[in-house]
Amino acid sequence: MVLLSSCGKEVPIVPSTVSIVRAPAYDQSVYDTMRRMLAEHQLDVRGKSVLLKPNLVEFEPESSINTNPMLVHAAFEAFRAMGAGSVRIAEGPGHRRNTLDLADAAGYFKTIPGFEDLFTDLNLDDVTRIQPTRQFSRLEKLYLPHTALGADLLVSMAKMKTHHWTGATLSMKNLFGTVPSGIYGWPKNVLHWAGINECIADLHKAFPRQFAIVDGIVGMEGNGPIQGVPKHVGVLVAGSDPVSVDATCCRIMQIDPFKIGYLRLSSGEVRSHITEGNIRQIGEAIEAVATPFELPPDLPALRLEKA
Amino acid sequence: MGLAAPAWGAMSIEFLVSRQNPDGGWPYLKGKSWTEPTAYAVLALIAVGRMEAVARGIQWLRSTQRPDGGWAPQTGVEDSTWVTSLVCLLPAEQLGAAVHARGIEWILRTTGQESTITFKIRERLLGNPRSPESQFPGWPWVPGAAAWVGPTSVAILALEKQNRLKSSSEIRKRIDEGQRFLLTRMCQEGGWNHGSVRALGYESRPYPETTGMGLTALRGVGVPKVDLAVNVARGFLTDCHSADALNWLRLGLMAHGKMPAGYCPPEKVAYRTLPETSLELLVIATEKGHGLIWG
Repeated sequence: MVLLSSCGKEVPIVPSTVSIVRAPAYDQSVYDTMRRMLAEHQLDVRGKSVLLKPNLVEFEPESSINTNPMLVHAAFEAFRAMGAGSVRIAEGPGHRRNTLDLADAAGYFKTIPGFEDLFTDLNLDDVTRIQPTRQFSRLEKLYLPHTALGADLLVSMAKMKTHHWTGATLSMKNLFGTVPSGIYGWPKNVLHWAGINECIADLHKAFPRQFAIVDGIVGMEGNGPIQGVPKHVGVLVAGSDPVSVDATCCRIMQIDPFKIGYLRLSSGEVRSHITEGNIRQIGEAIEAVATPFELPPDLPALRLEKA
Repeated sequence: MGLAAPAWGAMSIEFLVSRQNPDGGWPYLKGKSWTEPTAYAVLALIAVGRMEAVARGIQWLRSTQRPDGGWAPQTGVEDSTWVTSLVCLLPAEQLGAAVHARGIEWILRTTGQESTITFKIRERLLGNPRSPESQFPGWPWVPGAAAWVGPTSVAILALEKQNRLKSSSEIRKRIDEGQRFLLTRMCQEGGWNHGSVRALGYESRPYPETTGMGLTALRGVGVPKVDLAVNVARGFLTDCHSADALNWLRLGLMAHGKMPAGYCPPEKVAYRTLPETSLELLVIATEKGHGLIWG
């Protein structure tokens, strides 16, 4: 496990830890599963501000479009129990303006006590212009919300879904929800014109303090991220390196992570963090939970070939 | 964090006035002033005659107009965007004739990126067929991106008001094109979502809020497709509990004289943002015959 630096010296790679934990259903057991999973990562959040960023897309509580609210509540309780100074929830949906009504319809008010006081609509938050440490897209400037930029730990809580343009939408693509529609509109179409994969890579660089939790209890396959169909996988996937987490999710979905544009862009010179050998896997083995997701109609070539 | 739900009428007015920032603008919820909530609040307060708050709001808007004639969503943001159309819904005599005229000029020279000459040439060189949905230019949320239903609807409303005051063939042309844009972006079942009719061959479903906006912008257009959208809007009106969506639906149905007689809004409607409160006041004013939305 070595990475060749530009001067020809061999530099050891520190493997990223990614956990795969079985979670068969959205029930009370999710709370204990989440606590155990986060404990394994030994995150020190004592006194820190944690921001949970679920994926809220549409007013369809019965579908598998949105991150399940019980899972978000479980993470909320777990981070508080770990001593976080504050835990808040925030999202900026890309299509619908009425974010809190959308959260209400998705079951967040019912599931998370005092939800409205814990929530920030990132679409309407005050913004700061930022300069990513490395720029991949054609965006000349990027304004991001104070609440997301100011968090000590941004926890991307994505849904495990296929995506008709990028192939898969996981913890990294979920960062589109941090881009404020109050500046860019509904949809955030500027990001599409500047290159979707490149913008995902830019956003990944813009938030250096992240943790990723992917809701794969019930994901979405086919024509995701909106019009696909539910796919039961029964897992949660988590880790401090979103690139490794998303690459692992791809393998579970039987999608080749090397064919996902934003993973290639974000993974370094020799694709260090999407290479399976450079990920320290804990919990379940990928092979034990992998299940092929039906691919978006125009993207059959993404299928992971058997070694 | 949301806002306490205001009661109808007088309390909404006081609530709105109490949320005006010291600089004269309004936030969405709290914090810095933004252009969108300020434009909505000023329109609403003009309707109810709260002219002191209006004057301070107008002053903030005048001071934040950008050199290109447009407005940015928030001070500190360096681009004029769709919010320019909202500001231009304000009466020119209140905003200032020259300020208003420069805003209208910005709207007239703005289109979705897919309608620009550069993009069309590029697509032709690449051999890409022209989509029937991009025949007519609409307006983008942000210049450099595609046109969508929301900003196109508001731009049409601003231009319609201007055209009634001082008609021009250039304005009429953009209104006609914008309305055709909306008709081509209507969902198959009627009504609109953000502006995507189908995704990879799948028919997309309409949203209540954009269906209301689209209908409002098609006031006076009598084609069968509009009837389809009216039916969808009436269906949404009974199911929808979102303040923004309900009030745009009411405006849209009023624009076509199709508001159900004796309609009473649902009791449990939460007002999450200041623009939602302002929009409700505007709907009440429009019901009373005030022409702030369509002149």
